[in-house]
Amino acid sequence: MTAVPGLVFIIDDDAGVRNAVQRVLKSVGLNAEVFAAPQDFLRRKHPDVASCLILDVRLPGISGLEVQRKLIEAGIHIPIIFITAHADVPMTVRAMKSGAVEFLTKPFRDQDLLDAIQQALEGDHRRRQEQNELAELRSRYESLTPRERQVMTLVASGMPTKVIASVLGTSEVTAKVHRSQIMHKMQAGSLVQLGRMAEKLKVPAKV
Amino acid sequence: MSQSASKRRTCSYDMVEVRLDGYTLTGTEGEMYFCNARCLCIWAVQLATRPNLADGRKLPGVQLTQPTGEQRTFADVRELAKWSVANALGGLELMSRDLQESKTRLEEAQRIAHVGHWVWDLGNDGLTWSDETYRIFGLRPQERPMNVEAFQKMIHPEDREFFLRATQEARGGARPDVEYRIVRPSGEVRIVYSQGAVIRDVPGQPRQRFGTVQDITDRKRAEEELQQTQFYLVEGQRLVHMGSWALNPSGLFEYWSQELFKIYGLDPQNGAPTLEQYLATVHPQDRDFMANTLERMHAERIGCDVKKRIVRPDGEQRYLRCVGIPLFEGEVFKGVLGTAIDITEQELLTEKLERQQAHLTEAQKLIHTGSWAWRVRDPTAVEVSEELYRIFGFDPAEGAPTWEQYFERVHPEDGLKLTGIRERAIAEKAYYDHEFRILLPNGKVKWIRTVGHPVLSNIGDLEGFVGISTDITELKSAEQEREKRRQLEADLTHINRVSTLGEMAASLAHEIKQPITAAVSNAEACLRWLARDQPDMLEMREAATETVKEARRAAEIINRTRSLFQKEVIKREAVDVNEVINEVASLVREEGARYSISLRTEFGTGLPKVSANRVQLQQVLINLMLNGIEAMKDTPGELIIKSQRDEQGRVLISVRDTGVGLPAENADKIFNAFFTTKPQGIGMGLAISRSIVESHGGRIWAQANLARGATFHFTLPHERVISA
Repeated sequence: MTAVPGLVFIIDDDAGVRNAVQRVLKSVGLNAEVFAAPQDFLRRKHPDVASCLILDVRLPGISGLEVQRKLIEAGIHIPIIFITAHADVPMTVRAMKSGAVEFLTKPFRDQDLLDAIQQALEGDHRRRQEQNELAELRSRYESLTPRERQVMTLVASGMPTKVIASVLGTSEVTAKVHRSQIMHKMQAGSLVQLGRMAEKLKVPAKV
Repeated sequence: MSQSASKRRTCSYDMVEVRLDGYTLTGTEGEMYFCNARCLCIWAVQLATRPNLADGRKLPGVQLTQPTGEQRTFADVRELAKWSVANALGGLELMSRDLQESKTRLEEAQRIAHVGHWVWDLGNDGLTWSDETYRIFGLRPQERPMNVEAFQKMIHPEDREFFLRATQEARGGARPDVEYRIVRPSGEVRIVYSQGAVIRDVPGQPRQRFGTVQDITDRKRAEEELQQTQFYLVEGQRLVHMGSWALNPSGLFEYWSQELFKIYGLDPQNGAPTLEQYLATVHPQDRDFMANTLERMHAERIGCDVKKRIVRPDGEQRYLRCVGIPLFEGEVFKGVLGTAIDITEQELLTEKLERQQAHLTEAQKLIHTGSWAWRVRDPTAVEVSEELYRIFGFDPAEGAPTWEQYFERVHPEDGLKLTGIRERAIAEKAYYDHEFRILLPNGKVKWIRTVGHPVLSNIGDLEGFVGISTDITELKSAEQEREKRRQLEADLTHINRVSTLGEMAASLAHEIKQPITAAVSNAEACLRWLARDQPDMLEMREAATETVKEARRAAEIINRTRSLFQKEVIKREAVDVNEVINEVASLVREEGARYSISLRTEFGTGLPKVSANRVQLQQVLINLMLNGIEAMKDTPGELIIKSQRDEQGRVLISVRDTGVGLPAENADKIFNAFFTTKPQGIGMGLAISRSIVESHGGRIWAQANLARGATFHFTLPHERVISA
């Protein structure tokens, strides 16, 4: 049932609750790390794996919503599932608007929690994948010469080689050489693929 | 000379008339015994003293200058006489007539002047009196002949001895000028003054005494009266510390009375002071003013009425009031006459009074209280202090308003009651204390508290009332403010109680949900391990153990909460149920009014007090009343709260509504916790009420009304039963 492997963090000041939740996750083969206070979690180094955070709303001295805000400010993009013994509508709305995955009221059904975790891990996994792809593309793009980047922009905008040559004031042959070089360096199988890459990299459409 | 004397003596003398009104008495030898002044005048002769004429010496030759300027010389008086006779115009008849006329005139003159004359013949002690003398002695003129003995009997006994002594001296030739009292036959006492002279015969022996007698009674009395008046005046001035003074037309002091010197502390020996001396006595601060006043009095010929201070030589300062009036004789200014009164004591008293009055006024202003007094005989004549004008919105500068003006200011709704209270106070001669409103012309309403005290005469009759009126508007609004705040506080307490309950419920829920969550999650984990192809017994045991532990934790939390509530000490006291119902009804009445529900109380009389916790009892009543109102929200009706004694002597309280009534099913469950038919209800009200009533040893139940709605009853044992 565990489609995506990943790491789950639990922050709850109630030991009974956090241990029970950890036990549920263990029963379905999910690794979980528990924390009694958010400070402990923030101090931990985050590994580059799909992960999510189960966060109690009412914590001693700080609210879960506050923790959410601090994570966003610190650039830590971890999906959050809130759990609370007492939820009101404004609190829920605020949490969801700030990007929470789910808002569960104690005592929750284990399946609801697991579904939310699954959703969060998938999302995080996807996000990480996209981030990796983009990084790869960026390094390939950075291997292009300035002239090639120029040509790539024009190619991505759908300009024929002939026109590109006249725009750049070179021969059509030279332009073609540039294009094949670009395709090779960027590991693009087709012009369409190259166009998508340019889009992802937000390469300017025109010079 | 008296008529009788001349009759008797004519034979001894030649009587010659010289001129109409001049005559002489001469002897046969030409010697002159007497000539009258007129005669001498006609003769134009200067003679030595007339008594010398009576010495009988022959006069030397005389020269006579007639009025015509013709001069004649006569050898002696006889010659002169003869000439005179020859030139006589009349004769004896004429002389006699003239004599008669003179005598009449003399008598007339004597009558007018109250002067009589007398002749005392020293030879036989016979007395010849003129008519006026008789009158003076209270007799008819010439009523009877008089002699010395009869005369002496008429002298006042106290003066007789003194008179005789004077008379003895008179016999010796001294002038018997005496003042003595006589007693008239009518008993009236008169004072007379007598003067006399001795007439001697030819050899020089005293032959007669001649004199006048004058009735000086009136003058004497006037004198005495004047003296008395003078005495009184001086005494009076001394008593009232009043002096008098006069300024002459030149504006200088002409006269200062003894008392005035005393007032100024000056020596009367030095006489009235000069203006400079006078101004020096005036207090330096008043000196210019007095100098101006004196100048003006003199220049404009006017009087004065001024108050000033003087400094006596010994340094003592006195206040004087000087009043002067100008004197005129016809058009002529005669100066100014005036008085000066020492008003130091009055002035100091006045100053003190004014100071006290000012303090009183200020004090009244501070405490917004005016004082007043009125008499029963004339209730419209009200005496009031300044502050009362202000309170009633009258300007003190415009003087005292009339009773009607005051009464017009009383609020129309309170006027009748005020009149009633006044009338009752008069009838009962009683103290009164009343609050009423006044309405000022600007529409402002003030609250006044008036307290009146009867004033009784010695015999206990009511003379009037004195009292005070206080502006209590601020107090009143403060009172209303306090009442509002009290209401608010009561509301807040209620809200507080409700919200605390809500908070507590939320907190409790949170606490309990933690172990429940843990228990549920552990149980679910256990189920998942169990569902595996190869169940992990170790994990399952651990999860199950945790489940049990967490469930126990939940139970523990609930126990802890209950014991927390039980720790609260519920104090009980003797409570008057009706009083508590009233308190709560006043709180709830407004809530009812919002839904057009009226609240009515029916109190049983003579109810025993119950031993209860007042706040809890209030809570039960609030719950039942709010329930009733809630039930009638859509169908306005009446909520009746009734207190009575039941058959067992317990206090029975019923809250009856005309609302939706009891639920058809589950009517027996309404007192259970969390049972509710209301959308917003939590189902605790009746459960709590039951818990409270039962803890007090009472019972609570509900009944459906025959017509509409329901009635909730509860009983409370009375105090003695509980304590027993």
